[in-house]
Amino acid sequence: MLELKDLHKSMGGTEILHGVDLTLRKGEVLAVLGPSGSGKTTLLRCLNFLEASDSGSVTFLGKEFDMSAVSRKDIAEYRKHTAFVFQNFNLFANKTALQNVTEGLTVARKMPKSEAERIGMDALKKVGLADKADSYPSRLSGGQQQRVAIARAIAAQPDVIFFDEPTSALDPELIGEVLNVIKQLADDGMTMIIVTHEISFARSVADEILFMDNGKILVQTDTKDFFEKNDNKRVREFLGSLSERMTFNENKDQKNHSAAHSSGTSDGKRGRVRKKGRRKK
Amino acid sequence: MNQRLADILLESFPRILTQGLLVTIPLTVLSFALALVIAMVCAMIQIANVRGLRQVVRFYIWLIRGTPLLVQLYLVYFGLPDLGIVLPSFPCAVLVFALNEGAYCAETMRAAIESVPKGQLEAGYCVGMSYFQTMRRIILPQAFRTAFPPLSNSLISMIKDTSLAANITVTEMFMTAQRVAGRTYEHLALYAEVAVIYLLFCTVITRLQAFGEKRLSRMNGGNVIRA
Repeated sequence: MLELKDLHKSMGGTEILHGVDLTLRKGEVLAVLGPSGSGKTTLLRCLNFLEASDSGSVTFLGKEFDMSAVSRKDIAEYRKHTAFVFQNFNLFANKTALQNVTEGLTVARKMPKSEAERIGMDALKKVGLADKADSYPSRLSGGQQQRVAIARAIAAQPDVIFFDEPTSALDPELIGEVLNVIKQLADDGMTMIIVTHEISFARSVADEILFMDNGKILVQTDTKDFFEKNDNKRVREFLGSLSERMTFNENKDQKNHSAAHSSGTSDGKRGRVRKKGRRKK
Repeated sequence: MNQRLADILLESFPRILTQGLLVTIPLTVLSFALALVIAMVCAMIQIANVRGLRQVVRFYIWLIRGTPLLVQLYLVYFGLPDLGIVLPSFPCAVLVFALNEGAYCAETMRAAIESVPKGQLEAGYCVGMSYFQTMRRIILPQAFRTAFPPLSNSLISMIKDTSLAANITVTEMFMTAQRVAGRTYEHLALYAEVAVIYLLFCTVITRLQAFGEKRLSRMNGGNVIRA
């Protein structure tokens, strides 16, 4: 449903993305991994036209967009079918949690207020924050703010959600609640691209892993193959540098939220079978 | 206090106050309202980076902030007639005060808008809102809250600055006091009296500011507005 071809992007005279391709099927969860500065966030921002691209094309829901010369109207049309979750939440500070979720529906989509609020409350319920509907962002914890941001994303009933390091700005003890919500979305069959540093999370939730290094995609492959069969030197180095942290995360997970946010092969296998079933080709 | 002085003060007080209410206040309110419009337009041109116009705005702000208000008043009132442009004193004062204050408030507003995290604009885009929708509903209300105290400051400055209009024959509060002082030679008493009335006006504005800040804070959901 989404196919990106040969995306180039420079910033301040330096090319950051050197011809990136990716494909995403409906219902698929794609995790983007890679070291800092490899262009993961830029890729995601270009994909939602938050950054202008130098060249490249994206085919989305059967329509092709030239990324370097896309019209404002086309961008608006494209964004009707996508949602974006930011690293820093970016909630509207002058709106309550519920208003944050309904704002796009009432203002951009001209939906009647009552209907928007019904959808908004459903979305907040889904992320477990129905009781915080009238709270302003400044009264919510980081984890709660990010969950409201996710509710805002799903309320738009998008065809795909882009997550830009959704837990990187959170205190460690708040990461789990956000990952649980994303995991639940994956179980519901939501199509997602998730840029993340949470390796064990990516392993348990993603169908495919896309590994970036230095503005290029080194690998896009099945999650299981990525972790078990991959012999790419850069990937091995990257995973090696993280292995200590992964072990630590696994221990913590088993203590705190063993069921939802965990890693390890057994859970991974279970996830694999279930997801294959729901994937529509 | 002798009887004569008391009589002069008592007799002049309502006259000065009336001129304040009839001239100083309207002059201030009109000029400031116009200044806010100018400031808003200038701030938006700079924020949206409108090519060409942006340079014009920078030039205007540079020119106004780099020259004294009194010189600007004289230029427009006594200077422009040489070019065949003659403005009556009151409209001339409104024009100059508005242009002057507009330049300062433009900078206040630009800074306030820029202080709202840019990510909220992007979030607006991502839920399908346009630039203007996001500006109007999300960014500007927060910027206005930030800009409110410095804008109140500007308003208070302006009330006092309108006394300069006496120089271009606008019979506002200060000129009225000046005339009584000239006639009675009671300079200390009269200028103290007009100072007290300015103080009174500014006190009212300060109270209104405190009230306004409280309301804005409630509308924006508490003291901390940045995530």
